Amino acid sequence: MNEERREFIKKTSFGFLAGIGVTSGFFLNFLMEKTDTSLWADKSIAGTIRWGMLIDMRKCIEGCQKCVDACRLVHNVPDFGNSGYQIEWLQKKPYREVFPTSGEDFTGKERTGKSFPSLCNHCAEPPCASACPTQATFKRFDGIVALDYHRCTGCRSCMASCPYGAISFNWSEPRPAIKALNASYPTREKGVVEKCNFCPERLLKGKLPACVEACPEKTLMFGDLNDPKSEIRLLLEKNQTMQRKPELGTLPSVFYII
Amino acid sequence: MKITTREVVFGLLILVALVALRVFWPTVKAEKIPSPTVKVTAIDSTACIAPTEYMRSHHMQLLNEWRNTGARDNRPYVNAAGKKFQKSLDTCLGCHSNNTYFCISCHQYANAKPNCWNCHLSPLDKP
Repeated sequence: MNEERREFIKKTSFGFLAGIGVTSGFFLNFLMEKTDTSLWADKSIAGTIRWGMLIDMRKCIEGCQKCVDACRLVHNVPDFGNSGYQIEWLQKKPYREVFPTSGEDFTGKERTGKSFPSLCNHCAEPPCASACPTQATFKRFDGIVALDYHRCTGCRSCMASCPYGAISFNWSEPRPAIKALNASYPTREKGVVEKCNFCPERLLKGKLPACVEACPEKTLMFGDLNDPKSEIRLLLEKNQTMQRKPELGTLPSVFYII
Repeated sequence: MKITTREVVFGLLILVALVALRVFWPTVKAEKIPSPTVKVTAIDSTACIAPTEYMRSHHMQLLNEWRNTGARDNRPYVNAAGKKFQKSLDTCLGCHSNNTYFCISCHQYANAKPNCWNCHLSPLDKP
């Protein structure tokens, strides 16, 4: 490349950049973008809320599926009827599957013989959020480990990293497998993962999560773990509780009384 | 260079063919813009988040922004008038699902295929 050509390219590119600079001044910002950030008066401060759940297994009725059914209905969770394809946000599993590392092997059957509601633990240190390459799984300001389906690429890293098996993958189009379609909540599509989300759309309206509301025995207790006066905190103080696989350091927000 | 009569005639023929093509080319007209077929009760359009003209031309940009930020940013959307809205497709459909064909009538005409309805229930899907 000779000197002249080099100079020419240099000068034209400077001219091009200057042109961009000048023209950007002509386009005024749209009206919509002129929002003042000081208007966000109702912004929650990170770390002030941490939603958690306490599952009192002394009250849970064996064979009752009301929480599971309510969850399925509210969130349009498909039911493929095929164990390989099945999608579960909340399911009742035997003790050995829920607490495989606990030292309660020889505890009486009246305590460990039941099936335990198992759901996403909304860990304070979520391994799924760390594993997600697109940050589709992330920890919200209120402690909920949320999933943005718009960003999910279906890589299933979160499923591999979740020690509780709480995340399911849509191997096929979920909509035909939904028995009763709830018009007020979206469905998912083939190729994304899904899991329990602690019903933020209900919390926003001041309602309790669907499973908590559906439980006839008040087995499930929902509340703010960061509020020392909340009902859940008082129960946690008075009772001996268990977390799932506490040795992993994920700090689950779901507690069990067995 | 010598130009033969044959070549001149051939050139003229090509010219005539091109002119004829231009003259007799079938004129393609766009379909008539569909007007919503369903009569709906008048919605208070002043309550929409932005002026109708803006929404007509920029709704896709606004919805994209809502889609990208809605899940992780809990702050509501504030419009120019200072009114707050939840960043949710339900905010839009709260009024606009009044007309079942509100989205689809234009999108079909413009052959726009947004992937919203892969997951979100369109007014057509609602039972």
